[in-house]
Amino acid sequence: MSAFEGQLAGWMTPARVAKSVDKSQTIAQLVAEYSTTLYRVAFSVTRNAAEAEDAVQETFLRVLKHESRLDEVRDYRVWLVRIVWNIVLDRKRRAKTRPENEDIADHARALPSKDRAADATVISNEEQARILSLIEKLPRREREALLLSAVQELTTGEIAAMLGTTESSIRSRIFRARREMAVLLEKEGIQR
Amino acid sequence: MTSERNEEIEKMDAVLRAIGGAVPDPGLEGRILHRLAAARASAETGTAPLVPGRRVPRFVGPLAGFASAGLMCGVIVVGSVRHSHEHRAGEPAAPPVLQIQRGGVGAASAVRPADPGTAAPLPASPAARGGATHRTAQRGRARIARQTKKAPGVTVPVPARAGSPQQ
Repeated sequence: MSAFEGQLAGWMTPARVAKSVDKSQTIAQLVAEYSTTLYRVAFSVTRNAAEAEDAVQETFLRVLKHESRLDEVRDYRVWLVRIVWNIVLDRKRRAKTRPENEDIADHARALPSKDRAADATVISNEEQARILSLIEKLPRREREALLLSAVQELTTGEIAAMLGTTESSIRSRIFRARREMAVLLEKEGIQR
Repeated sequence: MTSERNEEIEKMDAVLRAIGGAVPDPGLEGRILHRLAAARASAETGTAPLVPGRRVPRFVGPLAGFASAGLMCGVIVVGSVRHSHEHRAGEPAAPPVLQIQRGGVGAASAVRPADPGTAAPLPASPAARGGATHRTAQRGRARIARQTKKAPGVTVPVPARAGSPQQ
């Protein structure tokens, strides 16, 4: 069983839904509804617009491959987020040997236009890069929880379901991550 | 200190908001649907796999690895067995007998016994005896101190006195 099939099996309802749906229509609806969320999840790891979009496209290609079992999925959002999360983590692992290709211009572009003016006065691109490099120093589990908590559409419960743990565990991971980040930022401020 | 810390935390939150609220380039949905349609069409015609970058099944890689490892093991075993058979063909069936020198003192003599012609002890030369026993008399005469105890019956030359006739 492939990893994808394992993910699929984990999110299937035991009893199949009786109603028959138009699969292509369903996929189009999924794209319309979740593509932005998936893009944000992918971007939180890749921090590169093109790579994030490519990961989202690959996610839906995998969905297309298993479209015959779509009506068995319990929670589309969590299921799709989990797929895209695994895709970007897998790509990141493979890309460990090559240099980091963080695109700082992407960070600026990533800011929603209505928030850009407000936040641009507070934080520069260099500071963004510095803070992101500190986030990378966090332990894996804390870092993942922190990054996923930043995605607006995801609740703590959904993050917990995605990472296969409890909500309280996610909350404590986020708390530890923020505390550790405060320490790192303080150290960094002293060194500067 | 606390205000600086709060400022840094606010910056971190701003960065996280920026990441979490990232906006894709316009037309993302259209590009995804277009790619899905292309993938569906190519899957129907059988020209390309649905998921890019995975043209062979997942199990093929490990299977090939195990097969090649097994093949290598087989080659090594067969080669070593064949080599040992070839080596024994020209040799007697009995195992080799170890020749041990009984007259030797230690392991070194057992391994490399000495030639009987050179085994007899040789007198050491004066030079080989060491500096303590190799002394030369000065001006052809030995000097012996007065207080030296002499063996009975040994004459000791009397040193010549001034005015005495030369011998």
